[in-house]
Order: sequence, then structure tokens, then C-alpha cells
Amino acid sequence: MTEKLLQLEKVTKVFRRAGLGLVSEKTTRALDEISLTMYGEPTIVALVGESGSGKSTVCRLILGLEKTTSGQILYEGRDVSQWLEKDWKNYRKEVQIVFQDPYGTYNPFYRVDRVLWTVIKKFHLASSDRESRQLVDQSLEAVGLRPREILGRYPHQLSGGERQRIMLARIYLVKPNLLVCDEPVSMIDAALRAMFLEHLRDFKKLGISCLYITHDLNIAYFIADSVVILCTGQIIESGKTELVVTDPLHPYTKELISSIPNPDPSKRWTEKLDAERVGLQKLGKGVGEQGCIFYDRCRYAMAKCEKNRPPLLKSKDREVACFLIPEAN
Amino acid sequence: MLKETGTNFLVRSSRIFKSSLKLRIGIILFTLLVISVILEPAINNYRLGGHESTEIGLYDALLPFTFEHPLGTDHYGRDVFALLLTGLKYSLLIGLMAGGLATFIAVSLALIAGYKGGRLETLVTTFTNAVLIIPLWPILAIAVLFVERADLMLIIVILAFFSWPWACRQITPQIASLKERPYIELAKVSGLRDLEIMFKEILPNFLPYVIVGFSYAVAGAIMAETALRLVGLGPGAIPSLGLLINWAMYTGALAQQHYVIVLSPILLLVLIFVSLNFINIGLDEVYNPRLKKITGL
Amino acid sequence: MQAILEVENLRVYFTTIEGDCKSVDGVSFRVYNKEILGIAGESGCGKSTLIEGILRLVKPPGYIKSGKVFFAGSDLLHLKERNLRKIRWKELSYIPQGCMNALNPVLRIEEQIVDGIVTHTDLSGEKAKEMTSSALNAVGMPSEVAGMYPHELSGGMRQRVAIAMSTCLRPSLVLADEPVTALDVIMQRLNLQTIAELKERFGMTVVLVAHDMACHAEICDRICIMYAGRLMEIGIVDQLFQKPLHPYTKGLLEAVPSLQRRRVKSIAGLAPSPLNWPRGCRFHPRCPFQKKICKKKEPALREVDSEHYVACHLYGD
Repeated sequence: MTEKLLQLEKVTKVFRRAGLGLVSEKTTRALDEISLTMYGEPTIVALVGESGSGKSTVCRLILGLEKTTSGQILYEGRDVSQWLEKDWKNYRKEVQIVFQDPYGTYNPFYRVDRVLWTVIKKFHLASSDRESRQLVDQSLEAVGLRPREILGRYPHQLSGGERQRIMLARIYLVKPNLLVCDEPVSMIDAALRAMFLEHLRDFKKLGISCLYITHDLNIAYFIADSVVILCTGQIIESGKTELVVTDPLHPYTKELISSIPNPDPSKRWTEKLDAERVGLQKLGKGVGEQGCIFYDRCRYAMAKCEKNRPPLLKSKDREVACFLIPEAN
Repeated sequence: MLKETGTNFLVRSSRIFKSSLKLRIGIILFTLLVISVILEPAINNYRLGGHESTEIGLYDALLPFTFEHPLGTDHYGRDVFALLLTGLKYSLLIGLMAGGLATFIAVSLALIAGYKGGRLETLVTTFTNAVLIIPLWPILAIAVLFVERADLMLIIVILAFFSWPWACRQITPQIASLKERPYIELAKVSGLRDLEIMFKEILPNFLPYVIVGFSYAVAGAIMAETALRLVGLGPGAIPSLGLLINWAMYTGALAQQHYVIVLSPILLLVLIFVSLNFINIGLDEVYNPRLKKITGL
Repeated sequence: MQAILEVENLRVYFTTIEGDCKSVDGVSFRVYNKEILGIAGESGCGKSTLIEGILRLVKPPGYIKSGKVFFAGSDLLHLKERNLRKIRWKELSYIPQGCMNALNPVLRIEEQIVDGIVTHTDLSGEKAKEMTSSALNAVGMPSEVAGMYPHELSGGMRQRVAIAMSTCLRPSLVLADEPVTALDVIMQRLNLQTIAELKERFGMTVVLVAHDMACHAEICDRICIMYAGRLMEIGIVDQLFQKPLHPYTKGLLEAVPSLQRRRVKSIAGLAPSPLNWPRGCRFHPRCPFQKKICKKKEPALREVDSEHYVACHLYGD
């Protein structure tokens, strides 16, 4: 029986910036009642969204770096805030993250291997210095790095790719149950990305499930079992990667997929996007406004889409929130 | 990718030292001044045979430059060279201790306020701004009037109390922005607690600013103390360089063309400020390599 | 075909404590009239520096070591500053990297565009204002944008404002440095579309610098592949993608993920340091086809087919 590893239940996150004199108060609804479930099989789920979709916020909420405005996040059935209050050491060991920025995640004052020694110490992964050293060597070798060349170096002496791999080595050490990846390859060279993603596949074999957050559908297609599409704080489609990519249902998903540049000059984009329509939606919809999130940009928009938010309909292996899809499906 | 291998703190420090000419000049100059101060008791003891440099009438007044009195003597028959050393000692002592105390207060408050943020930060910022608005000089002048005895510590505390807000105000937003760095978040998810993060993650990256803040605080304290002396305030028994200048003016040394008596303490003060400033600019250059090309040195 | 820009053996170096950093080390190519030329390569290969060199925008510690850049009959590198300024913005324009973050935050969009026009021409403020709306419409921006502030727009829209600013005086040549790199997929498509329209509607020539080969495939006519400060291959886009000659080009193409295939291959090894380019062919340490001669002699860029140049010992030499 596959238990639920991670559940987000109607999670909403609103950021409020207080007004002061000339600067007006600004409320941003980063996430709007999103719900998703990850089972502990292990699996890789990609959370795909453009900038401003709220995807980074999801990652921060799961890691407990922010609190939800409303709704719950459950890890293994228990609320995350409970975990952080009573059992935070275990939570930190079981839920880990790889950040996007391979430059900023290292404290420039210390050597790079400090990130490894820290987790060994904090999570009691070894009982002696010799064992620690062995573990560190093993984890570095597992990601294709030579300990001799890495230990003792400072961050500025290594490349971005090497630094991200050390972060992977850190995950090898900790062996969490759930790994959240926040665009981990977007800041390393394209040529090195494939190698990094292969390690995530290895993690799956070790029993580590991964929530991979990205804006790049190509990567999601390459690595994820299922994919969740986020648009301006709402989930509009989700399902098995193969299905969603080959047979997208929501108009936004369709636009997203067709907008991915094709490295084949004989298959260029034939249709032109309507610049004004795309531009309009990016100017932002207010908080609490009714209607489908994609209404302003949707070429298939109907009357009911303006005032009503389409519910997320579930069928056996897909979900989609669009009035175009008949409920019987 | 680069040739250098892992280096430790000493090697890194020496590399920083070597990389900026201004920094080298500043540190060497300041070290010379400090060495003079350390050797002051020995030198003065040896030359004056157990007497204090401030003792009136030890020698004849206004003697010319000789080997025994390299800078001559002043109106009160005191050896100018010995007086200078003592003055340097007290000025530096006051500066370093007042500056140190001010920096300590500023950094502690800034760390707590900047890291915790929220209401605590607002509280500390408001308090800092309030102290800043208070006009320093009049209050300092009045406070010093109450210091009748030669109470060095009191002067230091008063000076420190009025200099910490500047540093604190500069440091707090820097810490607040350092706190947003990704490595702080990594520290949090790796199980480090708040205090550990403040001292092990933020403070080490912050050391150059602390040093710069410290040298500004020292310079500021010495300047404030000198300013008070020039108008005759402050305990007469503590002969700082400012007081030496005051004595020289009071006895009309300038009008009588005894330039050395007036100019030598001024020159020492200038040397102190120049060395501190060079350290600041030098550190700035090290951490901001573009400045080197622009300033041309 | 007529060449509107001709770069001859351009070298741009940076002085560092450890020696000269040879970011652009002998680059020569031509840009033909009314084409979109792509310059592709990994980050750090010198593409941005190349553009800065052409426009004489290199700041110390960088300097132009040698080379010639011919545009409109003169060598830009040896032109007097005031003559260069006459050309800039009106005939030769530049969209720098990350320029969506370079808009003045306290001025409205309209004011900034008017500013640019008035500085580079003799037109009055009112005339400039009229040009603003046509400039914005040319890139498909709704007219409300003119009265807005930069922070009210998303990254993609600010990028398009920058494109509008750079092209409002209808220059004949536009150099765009990574104009779509930090954008989301849909915005990226829109902006690439806008750039392609610059050529279609206004007859502008565009040099597009980007590291994403797929972007080049969508809108470019010809592509230059840059590696380690030099050009490895130049070719017409169809040819380059179907029959890449240089091993590095092949590697680049295989590393591009696409929805058509789930495989992706990385290029082995690490990018070399510009302080110390490898001897002989600069790509040889990472090349699966390296021969003995590759370590000793650097191959020259030769034309092996019509408009297809490659610098590799596998093709004669």
C-alpha cells in the first residue's frame, strides 16, 4: 500500500507589503488553494510554472521557511508546523532541498566541504571521525567528484557544476525521504545538466522521492513521472508526464508546450502569439477577482469563464481545471 | 580551475595584506604608532630618569634642538619628545577603547536587530535614530564638565555612547541583507539554530565591515576628544594630543614661532587619521577590486 | 550578398594579476544585410565580450588588443568618439544583457524613450512622444504601457520595452546580447517573435547572442558557434542543424533537450580557462575525435561548403 508522503490541502499564501506614505500597500496571492498529493513510491513529480506562478513559494512552505496563510501541508500525515515544533530534527533529516543558486548557497568564508561535515554532525550520521571521513569520500565519489580535488577548497575555486554536485553529495549523505529541488540546473551550463539529472534518477532508486520545481517542461519531460502545471498560483492541470505532454488539455498547457523552442529549423513556430493578449495577463489580476485565471489570455474563453473559477476535475490519472472539459470525462 | 589550493586564515590574511598598497601603508603606519605607545613607558623612564613627562620645570624652558632634547622643550620646561609620546599614548588609548566599545555595542545590536528583523529591528532602528538626533557636541561638552577627576574610563564610556549609533545604523541593513543569502537558508534546513547562524554564518562574512566600522569609530572618538581639548574642556591630568595642542596655543607658541611645539602633536594626529583611513580604503579596495583600477594605485 | 558588418581578427583581452585573460582571441566574421545572425556558445566563451568589443564598450580592466570592425564604410574601432556617437542608436543599436533591469525606476516608460530619442537626434520633445507610441506598437505593446513605471511590468515586458527603445530610430543593425535568456517560455517566444519581426517589417539586420541552440533554430538565418574565444563553425541554420561539422557543434546539439527525444548527452570535460587556452585546437581536450595534430596546430576557419565554415582538422588542412 502506498502511503501519502506529502499532501498540500487548499494551501493559500498571501504576501502583504505594508504601505508607508507614498508606497501603497500591495497584496500578492502567491498561491491560491492548491492541493496536491505525492505518494511514497518513490517518485519524481515536476511542478512546472513560469515566474510568478508561485512555484518557489511552494518549496519554501514545504521546507518550513514560510508559513501558510491558510490550508495545511502534511508530511506523512502530520502537519508540517507540528513537525517543526515538536520534532524538527527529524523533519529536517527527512525533508531536504537543493537550491537553485550554486553560488549563493555556500558561505564564502568557509571551505566547501563544510556543508557535508555540518549535516554529519547535526544529523548524527557517523559515530567517529574516521567514519565521517569515509562517508564524505563515498558521497563525493558517488556524484563523480574526486575527494582529493574537492576537500579543502573554497567556493570560488570550483565551478557552478561542481558546487551543485557537492549539494547532491550532501543529499547522498542525508538520504532524506523527500527531496525538493528548486530549479537546480538553471544556473549551471547546459552541457552539464544531463549529468545532474541522472543523479536524481539514482536517488529514486535509493528511495528518495523528489518534487522538482522548474519552468522548463523539457526537463520535466526528461525526468519526472508526473507533472503538475501551476499558473499564477493555481494548479490547472496535472497527470502522468507522458499524457500531459502529448495530449495537453488546458489551453495554458497547450500554449506552454507549443512555445518551447524546437531545435529543428524545419519545424519553426507557424502561429504568431497575440502580443497584446499575452501582455495583458502579465499585468496581473487582482486578488480576490473571480473567474478563471487564464480568462484574459484564453482564445477559447466563454462567458462563464469570466465569473466562475473552474473546479479541478479528477479522472483516474489526470486532473484539469477548465470548463472546456466536460465533467463526464 | 585556479592554481591555488585550500588555504587557511593566516595565508588568506597575508594575501589580503599583500594585495593592496594602501592597506599595507595603513597597517604599517598604525603598527609603528602602536609600537611607540607600547615602548613609551620604557623610553620615557630611561630618558627622564623616573620623572613624568608632564612634570613642570624638569628642564629649562624653550631649549633648542639637541641630542638630549630632539624636539626641544616647551614653556614649562618639559621635553617635547617625551610629551608627544605620552600624548600619543593617551589619544590612542582613548580612541581604541572608545572605538572598541562603540563597535561592540553597534555590532551586537545590529546582529540581533538585523537577523531577527520585524519588531525588534524596528525598535533598535528607532532607538538608534533617536540617539543620533541628539546633538553630540553640546552634550559631550556638558558631560565632560562633570568629569572633574582624571577618569579615563568615564571619558571613554561617554565617547563610546555617542559614537555607536553611526556604526549600528550602517551595519544593521547590511546584516539584514546578509540574512537573505541562500547559505543562511541552507544552514536553517541543515538544523542550525538562530544563535549558531548569527555567529557562525553571518558574523565571519561581516568581519571586514566590523574592522572598517571599528577604525571609523576610533578616528571619530579621537577627533571628538581632540575637539573638546581644543576648547579647554576635559580633565587636565590626562595629556592627550589634543591637550598638548591646547597647551601650545595657550602659551602662544605659534605667535612666538615655536612651531615644533604646536605642529608636532598635530602631525601625529594626522598620522593616526591617515593610517586609519588608508586601512579603510585599502580594505575597500581588496573587497571591491574595481576601485583599484579607478583610483590608479 | 552585401555585408553590413565585417569583423576582422578582433581580440579583446582583460588584464588580471595572473596575466592576460584572452576572452576574444581572433574572431572574424561577416554579417549580411537583412539577416538574423546567431552567435551561440556556452557561457563564458566570450560572446558578450565580442559584442562589447564591436561597439567599443569594453571597460577596464578589459581592452581591445587588436582587430578591425567595418560598418558603413568605416572602421568602428578607429573612429573618433563623436563620429561613433553619430552612428550609435541611429544606425547601430545595442540591446545589452539583462537590460530589463537597466530601466530607470523613477521615470515612466514614455519619458525614457523620449529621452533616448532626443539625445541622439535633433527632434523635439513632441515629435519624440509621437515616435514613442509607434515604437511601442512596433513591438506589440499595448499603449497603456507608455504611462507606466518599469516595476509595474513583468521581466518579459521590460525586455520588450528595451527592444522598443533600441529600435525606435530604425537602426540598420541591432546587436542583441542574450535578450531572452531570463524569460519564461511563453515570453521568450513572444520576444523572439518580436525580434524576427524587426527583420520582416523593418528590414533590420540582427545579431543575436544566446546560449540556447533551440532559440537560434527558431529565428536565425545563419549561426556562428563560438568556443574558447574563437569561432569553431559558421553556417546556414538548416545545414548546421542537420549536418553539423565541428565536434563541438555536434556536442552542443546533442545536449539540447527536446520533447522529441528523451535522451540528452553532455559534453565531457570542463570549459577551459581564458587565462590559459589549450595549445593547438582549443577543443581538443574534450574532443572524441582528437588526432595528434590537434594538440599541436590550431586549425584555421575554412570554407568547406557554400557559406559553411569550420575550424577543424577533420576537414582537410
